[in-house]
Amino acid sequence: MRQPDAEPAGTVEVVVRRSDPSRPVSYQVSRIRPMKVLDALLAIQRDLDPTLAFRFSCRVAMCGTCTVRMNGRAVLACQAEIPDGAGPVHVEPLAGLPVLRDLVTDTAPFFAQWQAVTPYFVPRSDLAGPARIRPDSPERAVIDPRLDCITCGACYSSCGIAAAGRGFLGPAALNRALVLISDSRDGAAAQRLARVAAPDGTDRCHYIYGCSADCPKGLDPAGAIRALRRRRFRLPGWLPRPRKIKSMTLNGDR
Amino acid sequence: MTLTGYADAGADIETVRADVAIIGTGGAGLMCALHVADAAPEATVALVSKGIVGKSGCTRMVQGGFNAALRAPDTVEAHFADTLRGGQFLNDQELAWTLVCDAPQVIGELETKVGCFFDRDAEGRIHQKAFAGQSFDRTVHRGDLTGIEIMGRLRDQMFRTGPAELEDVRALDLLTGAHGELAGVLGLSIRHGRFVVVQARVVVVATGGAATMYKVAAPAREKTGDGVALCWRAGLALRDMEMLQFHPTGLLAGESRLTGAVLEEGLRGAGAHLLNGDGERYMARYDAERMERSTRDVVARASYTEVAAGRGTPGGGVWLDIASVLGAEEVQRRFPGMTDRTRQVGQDLSTGPVEVSPTAHFHMGGVIIGPDCGTAIDGLLVAGEDAGGVHGANRLGGNGVAESTVFGARAGDTAAVLLDSRGFTEPDAAQVAEGVRGALAPLRRESGPEPFGLTRRLKELMWEHAGVVRSADGLRQAAVGLADLAGEVATVRASGPAQVNYAWQEALDLPNQVTVARILVAAALARTESRGAHARADHPAQDDENWLRYTVARPGPESDPVVETRPVEFTRLDLAGRPVAGHADGQPR
Repeated sequence: MRQPDAEPAGTVEVVVRRSDPSRPVSYQVSRIRPMKVLDALLAIQRDLDPTLAFRFSCRVAMCGTCTVRMNGRAVLACQAEIPDGAGPVHVEPLAGLPVLRDLVTDTAPFFAQWQAVTPYFVPRSDLAGPARIRPDSPERAVIDPRLDCITCGACYSSCGIAAAGRGFLGPAALNRALVLISDSRDGAAAQRLARVAAPDGTDRCHYIYGCSADCPKGLDPAGAIRALRRRRFRLPGWLPRPRKIKSMTLNGDR
Repeated sequence: MTLTGYADAGADIETVRADVAIIGTGGAGLMCALHVADAAPEATVALVSKGIVGKSGCTRMVQGGFNAALRAPDTVEAHFADTLRGGQFLNDQELAWTLVCDAPQVIGELETKVGCFFDRDAEGRIHQKAFAGQSFDRTVHRGDLTGIEIMGRLRDQMFRTGPAELEDVRALDLLTGAHGELAGVLGLSIRHGRFVVVQARVVVVATGGAATMYKVAAPAREKTGDGVALCWRAGLALRDMEMLQFHPTGLLAGESRLTGAVLEEGLRGAGAHLLNGDGERYMARYDAERMERSTRDVVARASYTEVAAGRGTPGGGVWLDIASVLGAEEVQRRFPGMTDRTRQVGQDLSTGPVEVSPTAHFHMGGVIIGPDCGTAIDGLLVAGEDAGGVHGANRLGGNGVAESTVFGARAGDTAAVLLDSRGFTEPDAAQVAEGVRGALAPLRRESGPEPFGLTRRLKELMWEHAGVVRSADGLRQAAVGLADLAGEVATVRASGPAQVNYAWQEALDLPNQVTVARILVAAALARTESRGAHARADHPAQDDENWLRYTVARPGPESDPVVETRPVEFTRLDLAGRPVAGHADGQPR
């Protein structure tokens, strides 16, 4: 699969931060088109240095495991294109996570923040079947644009507070909290609202917007944090929770 | 975790004890863990995950969605009949019936317990979209990237139930006790380069398939046939191994790793046209009635045939055109994920045709199981793509994630029941030592081929000789090539440290991939007809007279596959789709 282009288009210089200082860091990689950061890393590993360590799985922006920094910005390696005439491309591991080797990080600190907001669905006791909720309902207007988080950690890396261990729940966890707090099917909203009101919650955000700038799924975690603050103080725009929930029945229900 | 001595192995080995060990953390693995937690709250569960928990494997990558006959006028009987027709009646009918009967309940569970929220229609009911080969619009979805919602929410539930997460730990082999009874799993921590013995009362294999062995392939990188290969080494029989599905609309992106990524079936469901290099809607010549909404096997073979006949696109594929059918705005609204995906490679689905090719996607074949996921080994359960029989000769789009979650849930329920009667067994120390030595061998060798070149050769060989259209000659060449490759794989060398060394991991993937490839080729040689995903240029017709039989491969001498065939049991529907007396209804046996 990896023959040179019909029209040789030269090479790209890729500079990778390695764990082992004795390993080379700069590689000349054959140009292909399209060419993602992941393609460059694979070319290095396959053809130049098999010991280069990086993580990926789906390579279609769904698993969120190949996140690295390209020229300082958090990106998914499978999505970030290496543009023509880019000059040296610097690839580094995400910020604020322990490096296991080369570009592979331990995501535990990110998921520790995620877990703090009770990220799992806690169904209301009266939810008997899939709820009847119209797609144009106010709650879906809040939730739908925030739902495709792939927990890739780009926002964490881009946040000078979350990634620096400065006592902050972080953008991804707070975005998740807003989704669940807005979901009329969920029964743990009060508990989550109390959690995000703690000193390491919404108020720790300094609105630097690194998270929203770098989210590879185009989500707006900073907007979610603002919305959570509105909700906490019941400012205009917060959603009341419905008293009753309508369920549907399915084939096979007994 | 306690450290115990397997001094003979010459390596650090940890031991973990759990009532249930689940290999794989895709849809099947995590549904299984959830059901164990519900049915046996006191039981301990260990998740053995080759990558990040909930982020490796293919349920994550589900785009289109999940087939379930949710409400009248659709029925589980109609879903069942579609599944058998799509599978060219090779399915294990009891497994297929289980799939369709449980699917609506699992959707209910995903919505009300797991917290998934699937797209709704204007009245607020679950929306179901059109997929190919179905008599009803029954594919439940969340936009066109459904796997993010299903796996994201399932993963979140693990934070509630709290299994032991062995992240970045690959399963090497099953372990048995002194009398050959199942004792657990030998694993290798990819992070630490250390071995781990997972001692378990019940083991569930749910690692996913092996389609990555083809040059153009869709799946995630972890899917290298590990589960099927370790079951094979444990002596289990495999069925339908020749049935490897090629999805007709894989992205073409030159040499980029993005090549082979699937553009979802809902595009064809929504009316997209397929055009050859001459601009002709060639499906009229292959399936005039269903056209592009024909099943994946038919469409993939048609596209392949067009390209082979010199009527392909410049990039060696065909055109997929939905822009001129729906218009840019509608394409962008209904298929935002797919539109983005094509823009990623410099094309644009919403404004014009894009180049696509058949891409190796899903293995219908696998371990023989019953509806409770039980196998011929006591205490060993298999669920999801590692199992065979649900889909027969071809899987319908939307039945894949349904299978993973339905049978994952069942494996969890079965495991909980088995715990009542199964205790722990001490793994045979010599077996552990041998497994450790074998796995360390590539790292300790001073010379030998690097793994990446061997993988490349495997992919070329399988694509060339055991791909969309096969022949006896080609398959024999594949068999010879694979035997050579197996010899080289036995001498593969991985340089670098033991920690986080993906060259070493690839060296350990290769024996599994080559094992599965050899079984596939043997089964494909045995089936002298064309049916579903298995197309033989030298036997182009479907032969219902002689071949309503499924292949069963067993390890013979030297572990070479021996293939026999067995008649399909028409327990519920006959070939004409009529109910068989006495089995028209009822729950799965």
